[in-house]
Amino acid sequence: MVDRLTLSMRASHVLALALVLLALALAIIGAAAGDTFYLRLGTEALIFAGLALSVDLLLGFSGALSLGQALYFGIGAYTSTVVLMKVPSFWLAMGAAFATSFVASVIGGLIANRVRGVYFALITFGMAQVVAKIVYNTRELGASDGMIGVPVIDIGFGPFSVSAGSPAGFFVIVLATIMILYGITAYLLDTPFGRVLTAIKANEKRVPFLGYSVRQARMACYVLAGVIAGLSGALYPMLRGFVSPELMFFMTSGNAVISVILGGVGTLIGAVYGSILLVVLKSFIGSWTEHHLIVIGLLFIASVMFMPKGIIGLVRPLIERMLLRRNGLAAKTPTDIEPGLSPTAEGARQ
Amino acid sequence: MAALDYLQFVLAPQMVNGLALGIAVILVALGLTIIFGLLDVINMSHGEFYAIGAYIALALAALGINYWLLLAAVPILMLPLGMLTERVLVRPVFDSKDRHVTTLLVTFGFSLVAEDVLKLVFGPNTQRPATPISGATELFGIFIPNYRLFLIVFGTLVVLGTAYVVYRTRLGAMVRAAAFDRNMAASLGVPVSLVYSGTFGFGVALAGLAGVLLAPIYSVFPTMGRDFILLAFTVVIVGGMGSIWGAVVAGLLLTQVQALASLVISPVWTDPIVFGTMVAFLVFRPQGLFGKLGHG
Repeated sequence: MVDRLTLSMRASHVLALALVLLALALAIIGAAAGDTFYLRLGTEALIFAGLALSVDLLLGFSGALSLGQALYFGIGAYTSTVVLMKVPSFWLAMGAAFATSFVASVIGGLIANRVRGVYFALITFGMAQVVAKIVYNTRELGASDGMIGVPVIDIGFGPFSVSAGSPAGFFVIVLATIMILYGITAYLLDTPFGRVLTAIKANEKRVPFLGYSVRQARMACYVLAGVIAGLSGALYPMLRGFVSPELMFFMTSGNAVISVILGGVGTLIGAVYGSILLVVLKSFIGSWTEHHLIVIGLLFIASVMFMPKGIIGLVRPLIERMLLRRNGLAAKTPTDIEPGLSPTAEGARQ
Repeated sequence: MAALDYLQFVLAPQMVNGLALGIAVILVALGLTIIFGLLDVINMSHGEFYAIGAYIALALAALGINYWLLLAAVPILMLPLGMLTERVLVRPVFDSKDRHVTTLLVTFGFSLVAEDVLKLVFGPNTQRPATPISGATELFGIFIPNYRLFLIVFGTLVVLGTAYVVYRTRLGAMVRAAAFDRNMAASLGVPVSLVYSGTFGFGVALAGLAGVLLAPIYSVFPTMGRDFILLAFTVVIVGGMGSIWGAVVAGLLLTQVQALASLVISPVWTDPIVFGTMVAFLVFRPQGLFGKLGHG
């Protein structure tokens, strides 16, 4: 028996696979052509896709809009920078970023989860702003200039090793990291925990009557999102060799929200596609005018008003129908399954 | 005597400057809080309307229009702009299931567009209009720039006027009735639709007025709304979303905290202190100091 949520998640997995294949093909072409610029741009898009993924986990599955998710992204990035400058080890940096973003999101979650809805949005916004200002004024963390001079590291996997300086190699590492984060999130959402989140979004007041703790589920979701953002952030200094307080500013959080809306709320993979689309739009429009925000802003408004499921909402119903036909499920349960009306996406925008 | 000198030459001027900023923040926060109180909408583009007001003033002043006329002309021009924004952007998503999030996102999108349009039309550089009133007055041994004095008096009058309209007139009663119960108000003959866009327009006009008033002090640049809106949001949250008096009290308090903290601790720590206050309020008293518009 396949229910709507499982079906729509499977369709997302098909799109994720397509993305990986496409990205690998581009990496091979890029490596063969000796390209650096586009591979680095693509890597950056994927890193910010991790941040968008964490925003979508919160907004699309528990219904909480975070306007300050860049806080954990920045914490991950700064932790990774500090570690890499002492010990140039990929695994140590990722482990440290996991630890700091975990602790930070537990603290942040205890504060933010006391309130709901629009207050949640404003409190996350405020927390990110406070920490960003503190970092901005702390000389040990480079203050407003940020920290430069992160060494180019070698990322070891047993006998193999990839240099973060190699554009194609690091692109593949980031792609793998983001896809692992996507996979873990998708897996967790498919467990009873994920169903509780969906239930909270649909009707929070009824969930306790079913015997589940709303507080625990919201907290777990928040911490998971914080850690995803932190781990994505940890990759940033490896790519660019520096961090700056701007990583924590509202524009970073705002870009993640834009990516999620453009890609499709509550689809997970939409966040990744949205982030790539945003980077492509920025560099594409940016090549003939510096006023790309007008176009992106209008697209964003149109997406919120007329295309609540984003670009994934246009493509995914087709894939869902395809999956149904292959499994022969359409004939068995014609009324149970409505392609394109996944409960998550429906709930998100109505 | 040193303590008195400190009071007269350091503390008091700082507090007066804080008061001038406070009045200005209250003007911006007032529009924000009224829009939230009535429409239940977080207007993320409020800071951009403040910037638009300042730029319209700049453009009209370049045409040779007197500054005193601008104080009336800009709000009058901003009113239809606000009403149009409400009709085109807010209204279509107003009845969506998650109104807070959807309207917040739409107005956030508009703020991106508005900021870039300002950059496109007026250029990215900072412009500083001439101060319309020069000189300074000595009050109790403190020298206060005349323009700040005017700002404090005029701003106070605007706040009192707004409160009078909302709480003491038939128009205000209609607005409060629509905020309290939209359907009941409609069945009693209140043109709810018009009240909604009118209120949004009024809030936007207040932001525009703040833009005109503050341009000579803080200069005019496309992202001017961004820094200011944070403070305005803090004031609205601490005061209680939708509460006019809450915005006034919180606006005066927070700007004094800011002014004194920058003196006693360090200017760089004022923002964390002010935002920290906001976060603390959201955690321990999410409804703020006072209640909501239309609810008492």
